[in-house]
Amino acid sequence: MSAALLEVSHVGKIFTRGGLFSSRRIVAVDDVSFQIDAARPEIFTVIGESGSGKTTLSRMILNIERPTSGALSVDGLDLTTVRTNAGRMAFMHKVQPIFQNPFEAFNPLKQLDRYLFMTRRRFHAEADQATIEVAVDEALRNVGLSLKEVRRRYPHELSGGQLQRVAIARALLSNPKLIVADEPVSMVDASLRMSIVNLFKALRDDLGLSIIYVTHDLATAYYISDRIIIMQKGKVVESGDARAVLNAPQHPYSRQLRAAVLLPGVAAAGGPVSQPANVFREFNASE
Amino acid sequence: MSVEAAAPADTRPPDRSGPILSVTDLRAHFRTTHFGVNRYVRAVDGISFDVKRGEIYGLAGESSSGKTTLVKTIAGAIKPPLEVVGGTIDFAFLPGYGGLHRAPPTEVARIRWRHLSYIMQGSMNVLNPVRRLRQSFVDFARPHIAGTAKEFETAVIGHLARVRLEPSVLAAYPHELSGGMRQRATIALATICRPDFIIADEPTTALDVVVQKDVLGMIHGIQREIGSSVLFVTHDMGVHAHIADRLGIMYAGRLVEEATTPEIFKNPLHPYTRHLISSLPRIGDDVPRGGLEGAPPSLADPPPGCRFHPRCPLAMEICSRRVPDMIETKPAHRVACFAVNGSTEP
Repeated sequence: MSAALLEVSHVGKIFTRGGLFSSRRIVAVDDVSFQIDAARPEIFTVIGESGSGKTTLSRMILNIERPTSGALSVDGLDLTTVRTNAGRMAFMHKVQPIFQNPFEAFNPLKQLDRYLFMTRRRFHAEADQATIEVAVDEALRNVGLSLKEVRRRYPHELSGGQLQRVAIARALLSNPKLIVADEPVSMVDASLRMSIVNLFKALRDDLGLSIIYVTHDLATAYYISDRIIIMQKGKVVESGDARAVLNAPQHPYSRQLRAAVLLPGVAAAGGPVSQPANVFREFNASE
Repeated sequence: MSVEAAAPADTRPPDRSGPILSVTDLRAHFRTTHFGVNRYVRAVDGISFDVKRGEIYGLAGESSSGKTTLVKTIAGAIKPPLEVVGGTIDFAFLPGYGGLHRAPPTEVARIRWRHLSYIMQGSMNVLNPVRRLRQSFVDFARPHIAGTAKEFETAVIGHLARVRLEPSVLAAYPHELSGGMRQRATIALATICRPDFIIADEPTTALDVVVQKDVLGMIHGIQREIGSSVLFVTHDMGVHAHIADRLGIMYAGRLVEEATTPEIFKNPLHPYTRHLISSLPRIGDDVPRGGLEGAPPSLADPPPGCRFHPRCPLAMEICSRRVPDMIETKPAHRVACFAVNGSTEP
């Protein structure tokens, strides 16, 4: 299909560890394929536990890691052809990352507005400070902040939630079509987490952005995603419409994941708060 | 032989009634000095609560709400710039001192691990990376368990089976085990002496959902079996719903609400607790959920009065002037909020 925004076809990544004689191959991602349509922006969620290859996959989409097999293309641009600096800039115009820990993503000694001005200047040939400020202010307003709140502030002066919003605003400055967000809310305070998640929804609906949301949290995934894939040990074990998959998972691993979600409703129902592991009884009985 | 026989003779105080831990008006501040000016970060500011025998007391709150500082203070791990400014911490097994930090070192050595143990978040930080697991068990627990070395090893192996670990892990170094196995080894280490009180600080946060459920079940099972009390700290309300008997909610260094877990989830009273519970997304439920406006306050310069009032939908004029007390609105349900506990009259 020509209208694909992101096309991931049979992508694999193998890390080789060790020396010449005793090398060990670790298959991080194994034959993953999916496609995001340019005409229909969506939130595409990648779910998996640690070691399932979800972060490696997101790094390959960001062109930080090169796949050992298969091909990725963004907006018709084959990622293996991106070799020069100019090519990288053109690629970053289309795809932007948001990282897990906003406190690590920003230099603590640098004022946040300088980051935003720099990013804008780099992506758009705008020399005029006033034009840049208008663009930065607009990006910040998209995430519920304003330039007035951020100007001359250092990262430690903002909360984790605000900082993650600034990171999203920075990503928006290049007018990307795709955002890759790797565990964007796991380091954000509980009271602010949902506002970030809602922001992703708003970006999809208002700005027409597609978002790749990498997470292990099934509840937020259910809340915002259109489609999901569930990964285990590098392989996609289940994929499809988020609601359908999470309501009735088919694969044994997806079922196990779904069963491991701790639902707060258990306590409200007044039932037994938890089941202490039965193993002990068995163990004691055998003793 | 059974594990029970290997346990040392019971030297616990005869008093079996009353709470095992009673914290009264505890205040612990970080002091920073800049150019001769002292600033205080009030991480724990006037907290009172009891933990009963044989219960799991859950402590919930977001990052920088002071829950780890509270736990550190209770465990006696107080190092500058942290200072205990006031209040007492009374353990039933350590009467008369008002806290581990005031007790003489001989008393602390007697209490540690035998009566009070910890399960910490990073199991890598608990287990010595250059010692095999067997040696770690000897380091931690051998002084508290009588009997020969052979009996000790049998007891350790029997106890490891409770957390589904093979005896062979005793010969392993921590880095050779997976995260889940390490955390289970830490649980075994913390419970081998059958302590009266276990502090669990975010014990499952670094684990996957599948492993997390397993580990929670183990902590719960061991706790029910040996009858310890547990102070369980995590920010994850889903975990609390599954494990805690009673819950205390912290916000900006203060306890704002406390009740049994079903009561907190069914009838949350404090606006912050209500938000925490209503904002949890659920699978199979499409209700839109919102975040809270504003940001958690800085503990160096908290807002006057009730610390939640700048973000509170029910804020009244009194909230910015006076600090609400924890008042029991129903039996065993305490809440600190003028709008809901009816304490607006001066």
